[in-house]
Amino acid sequence: CDKGYKQLNVNPDAVSSPTPQYVFTLAEYDGCGYGGQYGSSAADFLLGTMQYTTSYNDVAGFGSKYINSQVQQTYGAFNAAYPDEINELGIVMKAVKTDPTKINWLAEARIWRVYCYMRQTDLYGDIPYSQAGLGYDSSLYKPAYDPQQSIYMNLLSELDAAAQSLDATKSTFGASDLIYGGNTAQWKKFAYSLMLRMGMRLTKVDIASAQTWVTKAIAGGVILQDADIAKMTYIANGQNINKNPLVLDLWNNDYIAQNGQTNTEGGKYADTWISYLQSTNDPRLPIISVVWIGGKPDTTSSKQLGMSQDIANKIPANFVTFSEPNPATVLGLGSSKLLFTAAESYFLLTEAALRGWYSGATASSLYTLGIQAAMRHWSIVAGSAGTISASAINTYVNNNPLVTGTLDQQMKQIYTQFWVSIFPDAQEVYNNYRRTGYPALVPNNYPTNATGGQIFRRFLYPISEQTLNTTNYNAAVARQGPDNLMTRIWWDKQ
Amino acid sequence: QQGDRRLRGTVKGPDGNPLVGATVALVTDRRTATATDATGAFTLSLPAGEAGPIELEVSSVGFETRRVSVQRGQYVVAVTMDNTKSSLNEVVVTALGINREKKSLGYAVTTVKGDEFTTARENNIANALTGKVAGVNAAGLSTGPGGSSRVTIRGNGTLGGDNQPLYVVNGMPIDNSVPGGAPTVNGITNNVDRGDGIAGINPDDIESISVLKGGTASALYGSRAANGVILITTKKGRAQRGVGVEYNSTATLENVAVIPDFQYTYGQGLDGVMSTDLNSARASGRKSWGALIDGNNNYVAVDGQHHSYTAKKDNLQNFYQTGSTFTNSIAFAGGNEKTVYRFSAADLNSNGILPKTTYDRKTLNLSLNSKLTDRLGIEALAQYNLETGVNRTGAGDALGNPNWTPLEIANTADVRWLKPGYDSNGNEQIWNDAAIASNGYFVINKYQEKDTKNRFIGQASVSYELVKNLVIKGTASEDFYNYNYYNILPTGTLYIPNGQYTALKTDVSEFNGLVTASYKTALTKDIGLSALAGANSRKYAENRLTLNGLNFTIPYFYSFSNLASQSTVPYSPRIGVNSIFGSVDLDFKSLLFLTFAGREDWFSTLSPQNNHIFYPSVGGSFILSDAVHLPDFFTYAKLRGSWAQVGGGAPDPYQINLTYSNVTSSGPTLQNVTPDANSGSNVITNPNLKPYTSTTYEGGLELQMLKSRLGIDFTYYNRQTTNDIVNTAVSTTSGYSNVILNIGELRNSGVELLLTGKPVRTNNFSWNVSYNVAYNANKVVALAPGLPSIQIAASVNGWATLQQIVGQPFGTLVGTRMTRDAKTGLVVFNRTTHTPVMTTATQILGNSVAPYTMGLTNDFKYKRFTLSILLDGKFGNKIFSIFELYATRMGKLKSTLPGRAGGLELKGVDQTGAPYDTVITQTNGVLRNYYDNYKTYSELFLHDGSFIKLRQVILTYQIPVQHISTLKIQSANISFVARNLFILYRQTHNFDPEQSFTSSNAQGFESIGLPRTRSYGLNLSVKF
Repeated sequence: CDKGYKQLNVNPDAVSSPTPQYVFTLAEYDGCGYGGQYGSSAADFLLGTMQYTTSYNDVAGFGSKYINSQVQQTYGAFNAAYPDEINELGIVMKAVKTDPTKINWLAEARIWRVYCYMRQTDLYGDIPYSQAGLGYDSSLYKPAYDPQQSIYMNLLSELDAAAQSLDATKSTFGASDLIYGGNTAQWKKFAYSLMLRMGMRLTKVDIASAQTWVTKAIAGGVILQDADIAKMTYIANGQNINKNPLVLDLWNNDYIAQNGQTNTEGGKYADTWISYLQSTNDPRLPIISVVWIGGKPDTTSSKQLGMSQDIANKIPANFVTFSEPNPATVLGLGSSKLLFTAAESYFLLTEAALRGWYSGATASSLYTLGIQAAMRHWSIVAGSAGTISASAINTYVNNNPLVTGTLDQQMKQIYTQFWVSIFPDAQEVYNNYRRTGYPALVPNNYPTNATGGQIFRRFLYPISEQTLNTTNYNAAVARQGPDNLMTRIWWDKQ
Repeated sequence: QQGDRRLRGTVKGPDGNPLVGATVALVTDRRTATATDATGAFTLSLPAGEAGPIELEVSSVGFETRRVSVQRGQYVVAVTMDNTKSSLNEVVVTALGINREKKSLGYAVTTVKGDEFTTARENNIANALTGKVAGVNAAGLSTGPGGSSRVTIRGNGTLGGDNQPLYVVNGMPIDNSVPGGAPTVNGITNNVDRGDGIAGINPDDIESISVLKGGTASALYGSRAANGVILITTKKGRAQRGVGVEYNSTATLENVAVIPDFQYTYGQGLDGVMSTDLNSARASGRKSWGALIDGNNNYVAVDGQHHSYTAKKDNLQNFYQTGSTFTNSIAFAGGNEKTVYRFSAADLNSNGILPKTTYDRKTLNLSLNSKLTDRLGIEALAQYNLETGVNRTGAGDALGNPNWTPLEIANTADVRWLKPGYDSNGNEQIWNDAAIASNGYFVINKYQEKDTKNRFIGQASVSYELVKNLVIKGTASEDFYNYNYYNILPTGTLYIPNGQYTALKTDVSEFNGLVTASYKTALTKDIGLSALAGANSRKYAENRLTLNGLNFTIPYFYSFSNLASQSTVPYSPRIGVNSIFGSVDLDFKSLLFLTFAGREDWFSTLSPQNNHIFYPSVGGSFILSDAVHLPDFFTYAKLRGSWAQVGGGAPDPYQINLTYSNVTSSGPTLQNVTPDANSGSNVITNPNLKPYTSTTYEGGLELQMLKSRLGIDFTYYNRQTTNDIVNTAVSTTSGYSNVILNIGELRNSGVELLLTGKPVRTNNFSWNVSYNVAYNANKVVALAPGLPSIQIAASVNGWATLQQIVGQPFGTLVGTRMTRDAKTGLVVFNRTTHTPVMTTATQILGNSVAPYTMGLTNDFKYKRFTLSILLDGKFGNKIFSIFELYATRMGKLKSTLPGRAGGLELKGVDQTGAPYDTVITQTNGVLRNYYDNYKTYSELFLHDGSFIKLRQVILTYQIPVQHISTLKIQSANISFVARNLFILYRQTHNFDPEQSFTSSNAQGFESIGLPRTRSYGLNLSVKF
């Protein structure tokens, strides 16, 4: 009496086993996005926190105002990551791990997973890691939270093991890998660059480990050439999944009208950001910023004006005069997203040199190389619209050398320049801000803020974790400290 | 057989029309029985040698059973039946459309006559059950005309199923799904109620509705009947001279029933300051945090104009209109002794209280019954519906929800100032600080939604009497609909300026093929037996395409061809269930009745290793009043009891194995886990999925006293569901949002009481009263080991969730409270934010399902006037109000008044336990933020959902048509009808406690849906 039922219960629109390279491509897309449900996504509001942008609207201005009523905006990244890139990478790894001919597939998925997990733990601290993403394979519906320290140590050794397993003679994801087209040498550099980033992250909490891993990373070979930059490529037209996710957020949340006035959520560049670029005569200012005059975008540096973060929920009369991202460069929906740049390597190497962990070049020359690389990034992102002339670059680096002084004085220069150079990757700036204290942003003591007028130190776990994963959530909070915005995560030791 | 005596006769109703299908039996030997044909005629062959005077018993649904004496030598009998006066010998329709004497049933069944639905109409017939049947919790949704209903019988029996009954028309199941699924608590733009299947049934076609509540009652229908069955029997034609015509016309008007009780002390503005220019008006368009309302003429509103700063109390009345519904139906019936027919056509036109919202339903219904030979009969039923809904109203979150505007606009602003909601280019006009909170007039005028459903229900059956009393019957039924829906978020929407497009195109087919063999005999003179065996094959198939698109390339041109990005996602669920079943009914002297039944089901949606289940049932009844001599006080006494088990499969297919699907991409091929078709999220499948079981036992007592002037019907039942198939939310860190589990145990037990009385019964005046009350105790007994709770739904931003928690009733509202100091009970404050510290989000707030339900009907008849009044009530549930949550943030509720003048003293302790005492003021928005932060304490927006309503009033005048002899009118009635007239008791100050907008299990949330309405109108009913 059940004849044909087995066949009847087979979904005609789906396949029963995954095609790993197609899932991997999706994992690359998802890993580059930040979850956020029709509101400011994490990438978007961290731009506010790092005082690149702000909004007169309290709700949309959460990033720059940390108002108490909008703390739930910090849930999004956590909720999106696991069902998306973490699970997808689990599917890929399960499909290829026993196939020795696919060793590169496995290695690249492992490296990418490190990138994805690092972003999560850097925002939240302790997170589910060793038991996460096993809902289907192991019926694990309530994963335990791992301490950030053990997550970091595991991620670091994953990077090392995966990088060493790469084999240029074996097959790769090829064109399904939108970051490197399967190039194993470049994946190796990416892995050691991530190790450099992670190693340096430990300077406050475990200086010895920091040195060990930074040294190991440099020995492994990090990204120093523009050709090796880890970048995700996008398509300007068509489905949202194929578009640059940060740009799409900025576009949809604010700048879609392209008139400077009817911004959906009242967003503009912040005065901190524009004033700083003007004060240093930065040639990047006209590349990244416009002001709408008579309905047309104007890039003249002197006309750029940032908006104050103090405006309380009311559109200012001169709203149209404030600068916003340049549609020709920052807002290219098909523009690449830079995941790890040569500039970042140079700035981290500058710090390593100052600490005596690297002697391949002087700190000041590495610093200059970092700025020069960062200036070139804009032509990678936006082509001719983003190209800064060699002479303009030289003028700037000559006027802005690394001035000798105490370590702290030099750290201030490096990570202020990092802030300028790594824009719009606000999360990595935020990470280094928490680690080094630079750039020396003046926190916005906006009335009704949730932090006592301080820049928050972490994101909140989604409220659903309290109900769906109660025991493990409680254990994590007991270990790490209260689930609030000012609790410091492990590597952000005071 | 020659020489046997053959009796011939006719059976007519009180109106002189022949009765079809009436049973005529010999009282002394019930084996000798027959039924009347299409002309009301019968022939009864008496046993050999039977020549003396005999007694016949004639019975038919809805009529008093009569005993007729037949004299020696008499061969022709004419019998006229009276309408049922009491239920003693009532015949009711039971599972598979089988007529049975009510007294023989071991379970509770309630029948409601069709005319109770045709006078005071509800568009959705299921809503009309509200308050009428003990243990039935029926509620219409407040989603506008053409909306769905939610009906549960004896509580929610499954943790994860929809818990609604199976709807059956003339013995065959119909589809009751909502195309594309029910709205969710936190959805946006596209979150509309598209109407369910039962909404397509025309009340005029209904002869009667039987509600089968218990497991035994429904066991023959198998798993889908685990939540009870609502059996609809449609009207049939009858043999008569000429054509009988019935015409019924109803016109009703409806208005918003409850106006919120807002504060009108402080008006539009922020931090104690009135808005005096356009920008500040826009910043405070939905905020009543301004100055004392004093008539100041410097006030500027979002239209940029100066107005007097006065309270605007009629925004709901001004935003919504008077809705109207016109229904016209006509039916023709007739036939000859071989064949009878009935054809009806009905047209319903409804205009909602939200302007431009309409619903139109055309129904054509044809019924044919024919007795081709003495042994061979055929029946056919065909129904065609065309339903068209336009601009169905969204609920849930703000975007595209028009109800947001009148409810949350500042209290000194007249909502009409926002008209027409768009500028000269057609773009949405700003009215507040958040683009996601749409301008309601823009939604009314520019959003577009339309759906059409073409539905065909067909049934055909052939019955053949193989040998005497052995009837083979084959029936095929098909319920098919084609559904087209689109929803356009237009160009110029502030939040999504380039617009969005969503469409759903689907074909749904529900096929059932049924073969039964029934045999009736008498084993001895005292013992009657009827046996039934059958097989059923159910096939369900849907072909769904979901079309989504973004960004209209040419602005204001709304076509799927004009989208910058588009995707088309197919979903093709297919389900099969095969069943065999049998039952045996024994009747001892009409005193004791026993029923045994069994059924085996095979489910395509389950694991091949565990895909079938056998379940038995047994029931009995004992007519105490006939068995022993009771005092004269008792007219009738019956005891009944039954035990039944029902098994069920998974409601959706493809839940056994994880599959992978392509993700729509404009570039490289992308693939992921196939998302759940309804939720869009990733679900962990279950390779071991096995049937769940639901076991019911019930016992009852029926008493008729004082010559049936007083009646009591009492039932106790217990229903236990185990191994439930549940789709539950899990921590996203598992990599998935949900998992399908075979878990848990859920228990419903309760009592039902029906009291009927006929206090006054004179020639000119009569008064009948009927009161039903039910209590259902529900408890989640167990979930999976180590799993204390599962989540069903979450509100916008997760401010409250709905969960199944071990030890608690089904559907527990869960959320947060203000933390209180363990020692002093004082509120604990955070010194940094000056706000109370939120508890964890796991606080149990209350039960979303009312355990107590009741209904009270009073029918008065005086000469040609009848007056019927229905009161109903539900008690003991909680409801979480999202509208109040926002209204608190916006400063519209009276609860936000303290502290506006002079500041608000916050007194309690801080997080170290030290005393905390501070005063916050409006300066810098501190007070406003303090109240805004109230949204994080769910307990503040929780209310008791109990109510008593004056549900229905019908005043009918029977027009003396015999004076209008020229028109040949048989009868004519005109009625004043009113539904939902008053709420006599409620605890929700600002909204109707029945403010529900989804037919899913996600009850207990008020989520800014369309307000509920009261309706009143006139009905005219004429028979020619």
